[in-house]
Amino acid sequence: MRPAPLASLLWTGLRRNLAMTAAVIVTVTICLAMLGAGLLLRAQVHTVDDYLLGQLEVVVDLTDEITPAQRTALETEMHRDPAIVGVRYESGRQVYDRFRRDFHDSPDVVAGVRPGDLPAALRLTLADPRASGDIVVTYTGQDGVEAVRDQRALLDPLYRFLDAFTIGAFALAAVQALASFALIYTMIRISAHGRRRETAVMKLVGASNGTIRAPFMLESAIAGLVGGLLAGGLLVAAKVFLVDGQFARQSTFPLFGWSAVWESGAVVVAVGILAAAAMASLALHRHLRV
Amino acid sequence: MIVLDAVSKWYPTGDRPALADVSAEIGTGEFVFLVGPSGSGKSTLLRLLLREERASAGQVLVAGRDVARIPDRRVPRLRRAVGCVFQDFRLLPNRTVAANVAFALDVVGRPRHVVRSVVPEALELVGLREAAQRYPDELSGGEQQRVAIARAFVGRPRVLLADEPTGNLDPATSLEIMKLLDTIHRAGTTVLMATHNASLVDAMRRRVLELGDGVLIRDEADGRYDQTVPQPIAVPAQSAGDGGVDSGVDSGIGIGGIGGIGIGIGGIGGVGGGVSSPWAPPVRGAVG
Repeated sequence: MRPAPLASLLWTGLRRNLAMTAAVIVTVTICLAMLGAGLLLRAQVHTVDDYLLGQLEVVVDLTDEITPAQRTALETEMHRDPAIVGVRYESGRQVYDRFRRDFHDSPDVVAGVRPGDLPAALRLTLADPRASGDIVVTYTGQDGVEAVRDQRALLDPLYRFLDAFTIGAFALAAVQALASFALIYTMIRISAHGRRRETAVMKLVGASNGTIRAPFMLESAIAGLVGGLLAGGLLVAAKVFLVDGQFARQSTFPLFGWSAVWESGAVVVAVGILAAAAMASLALHRHLRV
Repeated sequence: MIVLDAVSKWYPTGDRPALADVSAEIGTGEFVFLVGPSGSGKSTLLRLLLREERASAGQVLVAGRDVARIPDRRVPRLRRAVGCVFQDFRLLPNRTVAANVAFALDVVGRPRHVVRSVVPEALELVGLREAAQRYPDELSGGEQQRVAIARAFVGRPRVLLADEPTGNLDPATSLEIMKLLDTIHRAGTTVLMATHNASLVDAMRRRVLELGDGVLIRDEADGRYDQTVPQPIAVPAQSAGDGGVDSGVDSGIGIGGIGGIGIGIGGIGGVGGGVSSPWAPPVRGAVG
């Protein structure tokens, strides 16, 4: 069908179903805003990860009994390992000095530890800090090695916290998606009933199935598009007023940037359009026999 | 143009077939009346021709194609070749007369310049060019039916099906509609018109197919609404055989002369040597 007659059918349908379309838009907006929030939380995890990973190391604590030959062999193996880009030795004294620096705000903790209590260590800088698990497995239990500590594990509570919010946002988005589907299904049912005379005539004169279904699908896709744009607007507002306006002053970590907002916004709009059209297609199979 | 070969149709909830072993052939450019009481299977037959339903048994051919075997995605193409007119007009009330007619072209993707040139021609044909910008509820029943005919004919279908097109119209208006359908027929379109309007059928004296309880009970050239001579229907033999083609049905039920119902005994069907009725002429259009 040519665009002009299609637009005419579309406009008639939207006008006829204005209240229902508005309800669909509101629900889709909330659904997609939740989806967008989840995506931004994931972006925040990556932002934190990228910021800290460069500073994180794998620390190989050495036993007090390690011989110079064992240490040399260990360092040689580490230098040959392509996953490791840097190996730095710290004596027990240097480890103690670092400990005092790091915990200078907690004198009670520092007072309880003596220089001889902390082992010497090899501090490893990895090519890919996210692949630290393999390094831990490789060097744990080797001669002269007391323990292998992945500093990234220290961030686990933060990641768990962000992950929980991400999952929560996605779960809410899923619940809203169900509500959206129910509404779109109802919208299509009402729309198909309202247009039964038009669709009957279209069938009789030989309109293709695609042509008969197109106005319904487009009606739903437009509701998805508007919902996606509104949800994208909410993400922008959250970035301006919450992230930059409130959290930036309080957070010790860097926060996600505008690129994450635009990417999430694009995903949200695309998902809104495609999911709404797909939901309409499902409903049409039930309510529009062509 | 249209071939019905031993067509039967059962609906799941029906206690008898809507159509039972109906065979007939309608040639290109013919004008045929389809008559019979309500529930006799007329509308079912039209629905089969449009592939709104599929035959339970037998074959329905339109323009040489087995309608039941047309893939779903090709059904719209069939419907573009078969125009339809109904008793209730089925116009879109929120569109003008011209827009109603243009709708049939718009939804099948015809270019704008074609729509602009063809729609006025169709309205001219039905005598409603001046009413192009009026809405259906501003028109009389006859005018609305003429718009419906213009819409059905604007795509130049090869076949026009009319299901009780004069059912809601007064006699004078019915005659106008009939003349219009006759004009379309004279332009080369095959017309199959289901009707209860006896006076129109009698006036036109065209071929008449009569259904009764789903059975084709009459196929008469230059017929009247009511059969004047008892006339059995020949049907093809169900199995291969050289003599079954012209045989009659086991028992042909025909409506007798005006005001009376008679029962005619048809030829005996069977393999290799059916016997035609000695008193009925060979039926025109029977499928061999």
